[in-house]
Order: sequence, then C-alpha cells, then structure tokens
Amino acid sequence: KKKKKRREQKSFPSQIASLPSPNPRHHPTVGLGASTCAMPGYYDISDILMEDEAVSVAFHVGANGVGLLDPGTETNSVEKGAKIDLPFWLAHELCRRRAVSITIPSCFGQKMKKDVQADAACVDLGTRYPYFYEFGCKLFPLVGDKSIGPFLRHTFANRYKEMLSKSHTASLNAIPKFVLRLSKEEHQLFEAARSSMVEFKKWRVRDLGLMKTTIVGHKRKTDLH
Amino acid sequence: MAGQTDHSLSIFSAAEVEFIAEDEMIEIVPNIRMDALNLLCGDFGPFLPQIPCTVPLWLAVALKKRGKCSIRTPDWMSVEKLTQVLEAERESPREFQPLPFHYVEISRLLLDHAHDDIPEVYMVRSLIEDIRNVRFHKVESGLETISGRTHAVKLKNLSAMEVNVVRPFMARVLQAFYKHDSPEMVQQADTSASKRPQVVDRGPRVSLSCVTC
Repeated sequence: KKKKKRREQKSFPSQIASLPSPNPRHHPTVGLGASTCAMPGYYDISDILMEDEAVSVAFHVGANGVGLLDPGTETNSVEKGAKIDLPFWLAHELCRRRAVSITIPSCFGQKMKKDVQADAACVDLGTRYPYFYEFGCKLFPLVGDKSIGPFLRHTFANRYKEMLSKSHTASLNAIPKFVLRLSKEEHQLFEAARSSMVEFKKWRVRDLGLMKTTIVGHKRKTDLH
Repeated sequence: MAGQTDHSLSIFSAAEVEFIAEDEMIEIVPNIRMDALNLLCGDFGPFLPQIPCTVPLWLAVALKKRGKCSIRTPDWMSVEKLTQVLEAERESPREFQPLPFHYVEISRLLLDHAHDDIPEVYMVRSLIEDIRNVRFHKVESGLETISGRTHAVKLKNLSAMEVNVVRPFMARVLQAFYKHDSPEMVQQADTSASKRPQVVDRGPRVSLSCVTC
C-alpha cells in the first residue's frame, strides 16, 4: 500500500455523511477535557486553518464509500487497520466515535522534544508548525500520550522569556529574525507588545519637530540587570 | 479611536490617555484680566493678572498657547525631587516609586508648551526619560517571573501611560499561560500516579503593581 506523506487539499464529498454524524465542524463543549483550552469559537479563522493540519490515523473499523480517503485502495472503501492521513477536523470527529485512533504527529515526537531541550527559543515554529500550541491543546485529550501538556508549557515558558525583552524594543520596520520562528499565537503576543510600544513612541515625539533628537537619541543603559 | 485598531489589543490609544490626563489641575499665573469661566466641569474664578489660580491642564495649555498665562511647574517636577525619585527607583529592583498617575502625559505637555516656565528644562527632560526607562525595565524583569500559576499581577504605583503600553501584552501572556498551564492539562499527566484530588496551588504572588484589564 502506498503511503502518501504530502498533505493534499481535498474537498471531501458528502459521501462521508454515510458515517452517522452531524456537522463535522461542531465543537462539543462537554465530554472532552479540551474544554479547558479556551475554545476560540466556531468562526475563528485561525482555528479553522489550524484544524486543517493532517494527522495520521489508523482505522478501527472499515468504512464504505469513502475510498477517496485512502489513495492506495482498489475498492471504494477503507479497510480496518488502514493508516491514512486525514485533516484534523475529520480525525477529531472520528476519534470521538471511536472509529479511528490518532497517532502523534511528528511535531510532538521525540525529535522535537530533543530540539526543545537543546534550545527552545531557536526552534523554528513559524515555518514548520505555526499552530503548534493550539494543535497540541486540541490533540492532547484525544491521544494517549499525557506528556504533551507539560511539554507545550515548557516550550512556551522558555520561548516566552526570550521573546519578552525583544518584543518591546523592536521597531516598526526592522523585523528581527526570531519573529519568523514564532508560532501564530506567539506572534500575536509579539505584535501586541510591539504595536503598543511603537504607538507610545509616536505619541511622544509627535509635536516635537526639532527637539526630536534630544529624546530619541538619548540612550542610557540602566544598571538594573 | 478607542479600540479601533483591534479591540482585543488595547483599550486606549496613547492620545486618549493624554486626553484623560488633561483633566488634572495645575497652577497658572495669568497675565490678563478675564471673567470667571463657568464650564460644565467647574467654575474657574475670575482671572486677575499675577494672581495664581488652579485650572485644568487643558485650559492651562490653551491659555499658554495664546500667551495669556504662565504655568507654574508642579512640585514633583523639580530637579531635586526627580533626582531623588530616580535614585530610589534604581535602588529598589521590585518597587515603583510613587509618582503622579499621569506624570508621563503631564510632563510631556508641559515640556512641549511651557518649556520656558520650567527651570532647567533639559535636565528635567532627561531625568524623566531615565525614570521612565528604569521603570519599564522593572516591569519587564518582573514579567519574566510569571508562570502558569500566576492568577493576577499586582503593579503598584505604575502610571497611566505605562499601564496602557503594557496592558495588551500582559493580558495575552496571562491568558496564554493559563491555557497551557491549566490544572486540567497538568493534572491529566498525573492521574496515572495518584487518584487523590489535587488542590490547585495558588503559586507565588507576583507583586509588580496594579493591573487593569
């Protein structure tokens, strides 16, 4: 059987409705421990995009009429035990109905853990896994591995310290390189800090004109550290 | 303009905080004669030349721009007081010195429009800059100690403008830490070890200064 590694953007036909289900994007707020991770809501764009990430699942039951999901199958059905890549929103629902079991994607695997332990701030979440934290939060209750929660927190805490000082002092135009390494959520934090700081600075030099250089060029190191 | 850019980022823009600060009272010495002003916010007595009186800052600046008064610097804006405050700020790494709530805005307005009324204006300007920088670094270093268990952050004696700058970041950070470090997520990792209900540890109280969200 061929195993396709690349993510395909497919539009899944309504044949999938052969599985008993309501709207597959419905977020249950009870019955899953995930309700504690601030569900961003049905209409949140970043939430929708995040759920499009592919996870590898193993089917517990056979499913008819959805052979589209498995590129290697001959008949129009998926067999029990098949390993397929599904988008997370689909895998989530199927997992609730115990039809599949989700395997942990590589972004929470051993290699990642080693990278984070080496240096959390240098791990490039921006390009590889922009939805790292949200994805982990959603995945966490579905998968057997209990160490994801603390792992996420540990990563975040370490990266946060790095980010803290840099975000406030960054100017509007020069984008420090580390910004490209931030996940979406961290990026929002960074933007919040930077924009409020920049706005304050603009306000300060607003009417000054000639006096600008006396203030802006005036840098003194504090001896607090 | 409140919240126009992004309602979740910040509640006030810097100009709005300045607008609110302009309600502070300040002493002026008019050099013209004028009748009493009866305004909604209060009555400001008949203005007689060389007789000092107290008016709101916005009125003082307006009169000053027209050359009708001279503004008396408030007490806290003298070089000695500011130097004292700066020394005290540098010495205590966790506390902020008491300063008027709107000191940033008031000082900026006065330095812009009334710089001839302030003795040693360059010194005052640079001192205020330094104080601001030191306080801001304190806020930053205090923020480093936030962990998931922090429920609230108390920042005492922080001024309006400083709070406004730091507010969106801090609110988001607390939310993010809460999400990641919520007792449920951490507890789930421990359920295999013990079945006893665990009391949520309220963690160390991070005392930086006041929080307004």
